[in-house]
Amino acid sequence: MKVLVTAAFVVLAGAVHAEVLLSDDEIQQTLSFGPWPISFQSDPSNRVSNDTRAIALGAALFNDPVLSVDGAFTCASCHDPEQAFTTSDARAFGRVQLDRNTPSLRNLAGLRWYGWGGKSDSLWAASLHPIIEEHEMAHSKESLKTAVSESSYIDEFEAIFGDIQIQDPELVLVNTAKTLSAYLETLATGRTQFDDFRDALENQDLAAAANYPEAAQRGFQLFIGRGNCVLCHNGPRFSNNEFHDAGVPYFLSETEVDDGRFGGLNFLLSNAYTLDGNWSDDPEKQGAWVVRSVRRSHSDFGTFRTPSLRGVAETAPYMHDGSLIDLDAVIRHYSEIDTERLHADGEAILSELNLSEQEIADLAAFLESLSKAP
Amino acid sequence: MSSETQNAPKVHVAVDEIRLAQPFSILLTVCDDVAVSEVRVDAIMPAHQHGLNYAPKITALGDRVFRADNMLFHMPGLWELRVDTNFGGRSISYTSDVVLK
Ligand code: HEC
Ligand code: HEC
Repeated sequence: MKVLVTAAFVVLAGAVHAEVLLSDDEIQQTLSFGPWPISFQSDPSNRVSNDTRAIALGAALFNDPVLSVDGAFTCASCHDPEQAFTTSDARAFGRVQLDRNTPSLRNLAGLRWYGWGGKSDSLWAASLHPIIEEHEMAHSKESLKTAVSESSYIDEFEAIFGDIQIQDPELVLVNTAKTLSAYLETLATGRTQFDDFRDALENQDLAAAANYPEAAQRGFQLFIGRGNCVLCHNGPRFSNNEFHDAGVPYFLSETEVDDGRFGGLNFLLSNAYTLDGNWSDDPEKQGAWVVRSVRRSHSDFGTFRTPSLRGVAETAPYMHDGSLIDLDAVIRHYSEIDTERLHADGEAILSELNLSEQEIADLAAFLESLSKAP
Repeated sequence: MSSETQNAPKVHVAVDEIRLAQPFSILLTVCDDVAVSEVRVDAIMPAHQHGLNYAPKITALGDRVFRADNMLFHMPGLWELRVDTNFGGRSISYTSDVVLK
């Protein structure tokens, strides 16, 4: 008899402790961060998107030094599959130290922009540039064609694209990039604690939703409330995929700056590998409206693409220059932001949050839940 | 839509669902029988002093109906939609507030 009573007491105590802290309005807003995963749609500008042979070849090439002119690097040297497709270096090391932090390559399918400054409007273009960039793989079109012809992948390559010898070197470059892109499209982060919380709220199952830790719930309330994070980090990827100034200094040295979106647009508008160009395989040129109608503005200077926050706990250090070592440092950065230092004139979004230690810990618990398997 | 100009021809705006950071279109109808020589569409977020990152594309559909494509609101909050028209030499501006969650 006594045992039974104790058991009932324990259950009750548990029920009292775990509850959903969100208001009805906040619950509605929560739904906009899912569902996850996003349903996959193949890329109309890449005729080998979602093709199993191309995915397999892309995966092999990604991990093979054949894509660098002297065999010194692979894509995986910087985008290490064992480290969430990045490394722990603040700034990437190629032939020299690059100016920017290496982004993780997950959840990239179907975005409008790629790169910190948005210099590419397709995943295949974003996969093409590193092959020929002098500080990265440093191939020329010609050396790449020779390298692929002489590699052990030539049969797979020709099975997909036909005889390589009759292909112009530029076509070989684009075809290679499209296999890499087909592979990268398959990389996605899995479902998380947050997704179970969100789906439980959608199904009005408050008991299940209450399993989401209260610290993470409070952190999420800050994220969509007083913290204003949701202004830029929104939607299922926690990013609007546009360009903003998050108050990170953009000086590379005393005399040089990273011009961010400004340089990204200059690059985009002066190169052939866009969705409006001849290398897109989409006869309808869907998606080309973006490069055709994007506006340039002096406030692009020193802005960077809002990063997705899915899986963010696995990809320290943070920001375009890798200058913040962990999530705690990022939250403190936003909490103490020096508005005098915001350079992109105009955007009056960020302000000093003056978070308490408790609030900092709550926000961190929420951000970490975007990486935790349920 | 509202205008500060007195006796401005009426302009009606129709929008389907607007999804955050996704492109959408709007339909503009000039309700009065006037000759329309120009229609331009833009939007700003008054609180953040910034506008649209993409230039809307205007198509005249006939019968004083116009469609604006490639509209994209990249942040939640209050957006002020602006339509600048020219009715046979007379420039008139209209605004309408849209709140995006
Ligand atoms: C030397 C290190 C290094 C190597 C090698 C490298 N990358 Fe990167 N990668 C980076 C950095 C740094 C960025 C960010 C560049 C920027 O935005 O300016 C990046 C960005 C990207 C992006 C855009 C990601 C996003 O979030 O938009 C893709 C796609 C990509 N790399 C694919 C590749 C592929 C494919 C290869 C091999 C052909 C490769 N990278 C080789 C460092 C590297
Ligand atoms: C004005 C838009 C905006 C707002 C508001 C905003 N962010 Fe960001 N966030 C960005 C941008 C842009 C970057 C990249 C900045 C850079 O590299 O210079 C970023 C970077 C980050 C990163 C690092 C991600 C990575 O992979 O490097 C985290 C974490 C983050 N933000 C969390 C937050 C939190 C938490 C809040 C609210 C307290 C917030 N952000 C508010 C735009 C914003």
